[in-house]
Amino acid sequence: MEKYDVAVVGGGTSGLTALRQLSNLGKQAVLLEAGSTTGTKNVSGGILYSKKPKNGRVYNIEDVFGREFIDEAPYERAITQYILHATSRDKLYSIDLTPVHEYQINYAYSVLLSRFVPWLAKEASDMSEKMGGGVISGVHVRSIRWETGSNDTVIETDELEPFRVRAVIAADGTNSELADVTKARNKFSSEQLYQGVKVVIKLPETILEDRFNITSEEGAAHLFAGDVTMNHIGGGFLYTNRDTISLGAVYHMDSMMENPVEPSRLIDALIRNQFVAEFIKDRVPTRKANQALISKDEEIRQHFMAVKLLKAWNNLRSDYYSRDGIKRLIESGKFKTKEEIEGRINNLEKELVEKYNCEFGDNYVELEYSARLIPDGKRCRMKTPYYKNVLFVGDAAGRGVFIGPRIEGLNVGIDDAVRAANAVARSLDRNNFDEQYLGSFYTKSVEESPYTRDMKEIDKEYLKIFLDCSKHIPKDIVGSRYGMIFKLMSSSTLRGIAVGFANMLGFDRLLPMVESVDTYVNVPIEIAERLGRHVDSNYIPNTPSLQERIAKLDYDDDSVPHIQVTKPRSEFMQKMVSLCPTRCYSSENGDVILQHEGCIECGTCAYETLWRHPRGVKGVSYKYG
Amino acid sequence: MPVRPLNVGVIVKLEPDFSEGNVSYNPDGTLNRAETKNILGPHSAAATLAAFYCKVKYDARVAIGTMGPPIANQALKQAQIISNADELHLYSDRIFAGADTLATAEVLRLGVSRMNNGLGADIVISGHRASDGETGQTGPQTAWKLGYPFIGNVIDFQIDQENRSIHAKRFILLYGFYDVIEEIQAPLPVFISADPSYKPSFDTVSERLSLARNLNEARSKAENFEKYLQVYNSEALGADPRFVGLPGSPTIVYKVEKIPKAKAKRRVEFIDGNDTAQLDMAAEKLLQLMTEAPIK
Repeated sequence: MEKYDVAVVGGGTSGLTALRQLSNLGKQAVLLEAGSTTGTKNVSGGILYSKKPKNGRVYNIEDVFGREFIDEAPYERAITQYILHATSRDKLYSIDLTPVHEYQINYAYSVLLSRFVPWLAKEASDMSEKMGGGVISGVHVRSIRWETGSNDTVIETDELEPFRVRAVIAADGTNSELADVTKARNKFSSEQLYQGVKVVIKLPETILEDRFNITSEEGAAHLFAGDVTMNHIGGGFLYTNRDTISLGAVYHMDSMMENPVEPSRLIDALIRNQFVAEFIKDRVPTRKANQALISKDEEIRQHFMAVKLLKAWNNLRSDYYSRDGIKRLIESGKFKTKEEIEGRINNLEKELVEKYNCEFGDNYVELEYSARLIPDGKRCRMKTPYYKNVLFVGDAAGRGVFIGPRIEGLNVGIDDAVRAANAVARSLDRNNFDEQYLGSFYTKSVEESPYTRDMKEIDKEYLKIFLDCSKHIPKDIVGSRYGMIFKLMSSSTLRGIAVGFANMLGFDRLLPMVESVDTYVNVPIEIAERLGRHVDSNYIPNTPSLQERIAKLDYDDDSVPHIQVTKPRSEFMQKMVSLCPTRCYSSENGDVILQHEGCIECGTCAYETLWRHPRGVKGVSYKYG
Repeated sequence: MPVRPLNVGVIVKLEPDFSEGNVSYNPDGTLNRAETKNILGPHSAAATLAAFYCKVKYDARVAIGTMGPPIANQALKQAQIISNADELHLYSDRIFAGADTLATAEVLRLGVSRMNNGLGADIVISGHRASDGETGQTGPQTAWKLGYPFIGNVIDFQIDQENRSIHAKRFILLYGFYDVIEEIQAPLPVFISADPSYKPSFDTVSERLSLARNLNEARSKAENFEKYLQVYNSEALGADPRFVGLPGSPTIVYKVEKIPKAKAKRRVEFIDGNDTAQLDMAAEKLLQLMTEAPIK
C-alpha cells in the first residue's frame, strides 16, 4: 500500500490553502477532489475578505499564496461599496454600510469559484509537486479507517487503491462525509444552517460599471432585507463581478422548514424586486415564431442565420462594452474606431429585426443557477474540530462568521486551513500524531482565531460602526420592539455595559431574540414604508422556469444514486419536495420519491437521508460557481 | 540495485481524417491526399497512449517515430501531446516514396535503432493497423526485422523492470466462437501492437500524481515540439536503397477499387441567360415547382 504524509480531502479554497501551506512548509500532501477538475463543485455567494483584526491575527490568502495572489489571481472586483436596502413593494430605503464592510479589512474581492479555484489549484499543485504531492481530481473519498496497531490512516476512495497517510485535513464542505464517517460531529440540523440560492447574471463590463457607479478597479455589494424574503428570516445579496452579477438569497433553514417555499421562487421574488430588476437589466433579443408560410427548409435556414447573427451581435457587444474587448477589436484591424463597432452592432440589430423576426427589449440574462448550504458558525462550529488525526476546516468544521450584514465564509476556511496545516507540519516534525499533540493543538489554535471570537461574542466596535451607519432610522421603529436594547446600544457610555451583558447571555440565548422575522422582515418593511423612496422599473424580468435553469447546468450523470431515502414518510422529507432547489423529490401516495439526476449536491436533504457525494467526476459541474 | 530505465519506441502514422467533412476526392474517385486533412491515426493514438502508460507508470523515456513527408510532423506533435514524448523522429526522404509495408518496416527498423539517444527501445509499440491501409502488416514486419517477439492486440500490460519481461493481456476475437483474453509473458525487448480498444487506467495515488505531472509537461513540451524533433533522411538512417521505397517493395497492386460516390439526386438543366424564351420557361417552371411544393 502506498504511503503519503498528509491527505487533504476536498479541493475548495480551504483544501487548496491547506495543501499550499503544507508545501510551503516543505511537507508532502496529496489533495483529493471529487469534481472532474478543481472548482467545478464549488459555489459561493462570492466575497473573499482579507482582514487585519486589532486583537490576534488571522491568516489571509496572500499570506499563503504570496503577493502573486493580488497581481495574478482571477478574482472579479475589489468590493468598495456595501449598501443595505430595506424593501417593501416599490419602496426602498438604503443604508450605506461601507464603513461596516471596511471594518478591519485589507481588501475584499468578489469571486466566482469555478474561475478562481483552478488558479489556486495550479499554484498549490506546482508547489506540492516539488514535495512529492499534488492535486488529484475526479476521486471521491468514500471512507477512512485506522488499522489496529498502527497510527496510520487508510484512505479509501471509489476510484483508487487504498493508501496510507499519517494525518488528514478534511476540507470536504458543509456536507462533510469524513465528519459523517468518523462521527466527529452530528449532521447539521436546520437550526444550524442557511440555505443559499444564487444566479449568475450576465451584464457587459462597462454597462455594469456605469450602472453601479464604479470604476474598473471597484465593485459594489448590495444586501436586501424586507419583503423580498417572502416572510423568511434571511436576505438577498447582489455582488458585482467583472462582467457578471452574483444575485442570491440566503435563508435560515429552520425558517424555510417552518414555511417551505421553493428556493427558485425565492430567487425569482428577488429578481422581480423593481430595484433589483433595474440593476440587472440588459438589452436582450427574443425571436418570435415566423408567421409567414415558409417551407421547413427555409425555416431552418432562417433559424441558423439568426443564430449566427445573434452570436456575432452578442460577442461584438460584449467586446464593445469591455475595455480589453474594444482594444482587441481595434488592434486586430477588424475595426478602426469605437463608432465603427457601434455601427456594426446597430446594423446587426437592424438585420435581425427586419429579416429574422427578432425583437430587442429589456430583460436580463441568467447564466447559472446554483445552491448550497452554509453552516452558521455561531450555532454549529465544532468545539473540537478534529477526530484522532483528522482535522476539520472551514465549512466541514461548521465555521463561518454570519452576523447581520457581516458575511464571511471563505476567509474563515482559509484561516482554519493554515492553522490545520501548521499543526500537521508540527506533528510531522515530531512524528507525533497523538490527539493531545495534534488535535488539541489545532483546537487551541482555532480558538485563538479572531474569527472564533466573532462567532462567540458581539464585537463592540463593529456594533458601534453599524449603529452609526443606521443613525438616521427613527428610534421608534426599532424601539417599539427592542426599545431597551436599542437605547442601551445607541448610547456610547452604556454600550459597553450592554454588550457585556449581552455577551454574558451568550449568542445561544441572544440569537433567537435578534434573528427573528421581526428583525429580518417586519422592521425593514416598516423602515421602507415610512422612509423609503419610490422605485420603479419599466419591465418585468422574464425569469426562467426551474426546468430551464436545470437544463443549463452540466451534469455527468451517475447511474447509481448518491442519495438514499430512508424515511419516505417523515415530515422532514415531505418538506424536501418544496425545499430541494432542483425539485428532485416528489410525493406519491404519501411516500417521498427521489429522482437524483438533477441533483446539484447542495445537501439540503442530507439530514434525513443517506447522503454521499457522487462518485469522482460524476454529478454537477458549475461553470461560474 | 537501481533498475535500468525503460526505453519505449512508438511508430505512428499520419492518416487522412475520415471524419465527416474532412475528406476530399480527386475527380477519378481516388483520395485527394493533398486536400484531405491529416491527423494522427486513431490506431496510432492508441499506441501512443500505451507509451504514455509506460511514461506515467514506469517513468519511461518515450520516442515516437513516423515515416512520411514533412507534414507528418503534425502527427508527431499530436502524439507528443498524448504521450509527453521525449524524442520525435521523422523519417523523410524522397526515396522512401512508394514504399509498401515491408519497405516501411525497413525504415522503421532503422529508426527504432536510433531512438532514445541510440539506445533503441525495450518496448516498441505500434497501432493495430492504419485506417487508410488496413493491412496491419507494418507492425509485425518491423518486429520481425528487429528480431523482437511480437504480441498483437494488447489491451493491458505490465513491465517487470528487474527481470526485464512484459506480462501482456491480448484480446482475441474468435468469430462464431467466444472471445478470449490471452495472457502472455515475454522477455524484453518486445514489440507490441495496441488493440484499438486499449485504454490505460491509473489507479494508485502515485500514478495519478505522475499522470497530472506528465499531462502538464506534455502540454508545455508540445508548444515547441520542434525542439524535440529529429529529421532523418535515408543517408542519416543508413538505409540500403534496395530495401526501401519502391525498389524495396515486393507488393504488386493489381487493382484499386474506387471509393464509390453517392449518386446525386438533383437534376441539372442549363439555360442560356441571354435567351428570354429560356428564361421565361425557367421562371414558369420555378413558379410551378413552388406552388406544387408541399408545405412541410
